[in-house]
Amino acid sequence: MREEPVDVVIVGAGAAGAALAWRLAETRMNVLCLEQGDWMDPSQYPSTRLDWEMRAFGDFGLSPNSRGRPEDYPVNDSESPIAVSNFNAVGGSTILYAAHFPRFHPSDFKVKTLDGVADDWPLDYARLEPYYDQNARMMGVAGLAGDPAYPAKEPPLPPVPLGKLGETLARGFDRLGWHWWPSDSAIATRPYEGRAACIHLGPCLSGCAQGAKASTDLTYWPVALRRGVRLQTRCRVREITVRPDGMADGVIYFDADGVERKQRAEIVVLACNGVGTPRLLLNSKSSLFPDGLANRSGLVGRNLMFHPYALVRGVFEEPLEGYKGPTGCCIMSQEFYETDAARGFVRGYSFEMLRGMGPVSTALWGLSSGQVAWGSEHHRDYAALFDRTAGMVAICEDLPEPENRVTLDPELTDAHGIPAPKIHYRLSENSQRMLAHSVERAKEALEAAGARKTSAHAPLRAAGWHLMGTARMGRDPERSVVNEWGRCHDVRNLFIVDGSLFVTAAAVNPTNTLQALALYVGDTMHKNLSNLFD
Amino acid sequence: MSQPVFTADEAHALARVLDAVLPPSEDGRLPGAGALGIAGAIEGAVRRSPDLGVALRAGLAALETLARHRGPGGFEALAPPEREAALRELAAEQPGFLPGLLFHAYAAYYQHPRVLEGLGLEPRPPHPKGYEMRESDLALLDAVRRRPALHRKC
Repeated sequence: MREEPVDVVIVGAGAAGAALAWRLAETRMNVLCLEQGDWMDPSQYPSTRLDWEMRAFGDFGLSPNSRGRPEDYPVNDSESPIAVSNFNAVGGSTILYAAHFPRFHPSDFKVKTLDGVADDWPLDYARLEPYYDQNARMMGVAGLAGDPAYPAKEPPLPPVPLGKLGETLARGFDRLGWHWWPSDSAIATRPYEGRAACIHLGPCLSGCAQGAKASTDLTYWPVALRRGVRLQTRCRVREITVRPDGMADGVIYFDADGVERKQRAEIVVLACNGVGTPRLLLNSKSSLFPDGLANRSGLVGRNLMFHPYALVRGVFEEPLEGYKGPTGCCIMSQEFYETDAARGFVRGYSFEMLRGMGPVSTALWGLSSGQVAWGSEHHRDYAALFDRTAGMVAICEDLPEPENRVTLDPELTDAHGIPAPKIHYRLSENSQRMLAHSVERAKEALEAAGARKTSAHAPLRAAGWHLMGTARMGRDPERSVVNEWGRCHDVRNLFIVDGSLFVTAAAVNPTNTLQALALYVGDTMHKNLSNLFD
Repeated sequence: MSQPVFTADEAHALARVLDAVLPPSEDGRLPGAGALGIAGAIEGAVRRSPDLGVALRAGLAALETLARHRGPGGFEALAPPEREAALRELAAEQPGFLPGLLFHAYAAYYQHPRVLEGLGLEPRPPHPKGYEMRESDLALLDAVRRRPALHRKC
């Protein structure tokens, strides 16, 4: 069955797809977005129920392999020390993200020039800066101006409260003379554009029942829909189809009833992020593109980058009120962000402070780490941990390596029989040295803040939520998949606007940057509509 | 109505085991897990994961056998320290018994309203009431503000 053709079909309604849809609405083109997930109902989010902590082990888990939602597709990550985390819904992974919302540094776009590794991006910080600003207004970024780690920027909302926990950790950083700053957070600290203010629920990672966290179902989508963009949910795209001249002519997808349909379009845009996008391209084989669509360079799926994470927790003598406030938005440090050859690795990492754990999480962490015994000592052990823990994660820059890649699993498929992605990934020597360095510095910071003991875990297996590099941008068609504004070198009416574009990973959460990129791509498309395919 | 997961004897024994692994606190603020009815949550977990039920039933039977070496009245008749010792003996002999039980017992216990109250918390989910947080002391940033730019010029 054939649908009426549209000007633009966007695949994926997450962070980037939403931003692009909003931007393209201005063009008056007929824009349709297909999303395999559905709208979420915030009144059903875990924080509305007493079992909120345990649902992170169930239907709000990070891994699509264990979550059990029908809209998920499996990912074979058995050959990777880092497992893929994502979410499929209108809003995508912004439903579950922490909303920690830093920008890249200017140096992140020039790593080859500055440090002799990887590649420079085909654009720079100055090019993206107006789109970062635009995204800050649309998402509602809370933060504090004046951070010496960044060029000047003005977050539109005041920062998330530090709380007793944040101030305790900040004093530790001050004692060491290390940089720290209130985190840029995509959280409405005041009522903002129809969103309620944050009331410090805590469990941002399982959806914000208050609606204060900037998931794109609450930010970009309502505006885009009002402006005429159409969004069809529970539609899973199987492949992109091409005409005899090699241009894309639409997509084949399964609708909510499982019926196979064809959607024709003048322009196809992929916004499925660093695993979903290469999966779709590799599943779009044809006689013209036998190795997958837009893959003449052989780079589709290659150069997969995560952010290797180290998690270090400290246990303090005094209660920290750590169950109050956004889990991942408190303070951050970029003392070790830029390259210092004396450290034994190139590039660097950020520290992001985590709030404390809830009652169940404390008990289960205490159980698994041997710190909370069962039996007669139980309540003594538990009392020594509950509301007395603070965490730090190091977000380490991963360098692109062709061997780290997404392929199609020869056997595993999703519910529609579409081949599933397989992850091939190993930690580089550079990443391992960086992780080890970050663990020692985190322990030092926690001890300076008063922790009586610390424990570390690196790499954190569950932390594969930043998926980047698998269809990277560049000017050379031999060394990149898309050009400097997201258009595929091989298929001139096929665009990509997600984390796959990233040339390098930086050492911060990528959502702000991939949304700024989507706005930049949309803006460039708009400006070049008359000769878009030249 | 669904069939019970455990026999009456097994359910009784499970409650005693739960009171041994999560006993009442000495100050009386926190109840034992058995008295609190956490066995119901364990039954729910067994319905979702039948393998857990197999391990628990086998463990409860083995525990009773071990306990009878300590006294003719079995586990029920043992004093709390003896119950704990019997459980440790069982854990050494059957290492698969306790981990699954403890995971579900800890999880159910620490989301129970009476336990939350015992910890000094309001017995409610975070939403819709949320939590008050104090104003931040941003004077802590004074030293950082005095630092030169940390980012490299490009």
